Amino acid sequence: MRVEYINPFVESSVSVIRETLGVEVKREQITLKSKAVPILDVAVIVGLVGQVEGRVLFDMKRETALKIASNMNGEKISEFDELAKATITELGNMITGRAVTKLSEMGYKFDVTPPAVFSGQNMEISDSEIEALIVPIETPMGRIEINVALREK
Amino acid sequence: MSDNKTPVGSKGDGTFFKALIIDDSVFVVKQLSQILQSEKFEILGSANDGIEGFEKYKELHPNVDIVTLDITMPKMDGISTLEKIIEFDKNAKIIMISALGKEDLVKKALISGAKNYIVKPLDRDKVLSRIETVLKK
Repeated sequence: MRVEYINPFVESSVSVIRETLGVEVKREQITLKSKAVPILDVAVIVGLVGQVEGRVLFDMKRETALKIASNMNGEKISEFDELAKATITELGNMITGRAVTKLSEMGYKFDVTPPAVFSGQNMEISDSEIEALIVPIETPMGRIEINVALREK
Repeated sequence: MSDNKTPVGSKGDGTFFKALIIDDSVFVVKQLSQILQSEKFEILGSANDGIEGFEKYKELHPNVDIVTLDITMPKMDGISTLEKIIEFDKNAKIIMISALGKEDLVKKALISGAKNYIVKPLDRDKVLSRIETVLKK
């Protein structure tokens, strides 16, 4: 997978998290996975269809999701309820929106599916034809992994 | 907004503008409600999809002064909802709420009768100034 696809997602994740949550974030080492990848408790997934196709997933521990939702709502949220889900989805929306704008400016044409959020334990994701790049981002609320599997059609 | 300033939601005659929020995200509904209520707008109602939103608009008509309408929603999307509302009331004041990267849909909405648009993430000052512009037109 070409690194130029992943950079917009990493840059927008860092800037959106920094601006929206008002916290400092640190980007960790990128890893490349060609087989099944474990995903953390809460994940937002967005699909891309067009000249660039595949999916982008943002995952984090439930505890991190609750801290982020609490921060964004200005109130303590201790259950992963509708409001928490909508908040995490919205964060995914903001990150994707900014990344997609960058990719469009680079000349790629594609559509994006609305983000879907899912949660569970011991989950993993397999992409049969596209290898996944994972960029962990450390925040004071915990780690968020940006897991990108995209290819040019 | 300073404390001395007339709230954006004030009509200037002691009454306040009334808003309808149509958005499938409870987070965005909450965010918009807080921003508008802080400027004395009255939230007449909210709906989580286009079908419910159009029904609410008809039910509340002619009391709704401003509608915020999400572009991407289940059941009936923002563009179809906009068209239905405009067909019902050509004077409806509707502001589209869009994620970044949906410029084509925003253009389509403006052609179909939306008065303005706001791109998320929602910034308080941006939301209020766009709504104020539409209400003054």
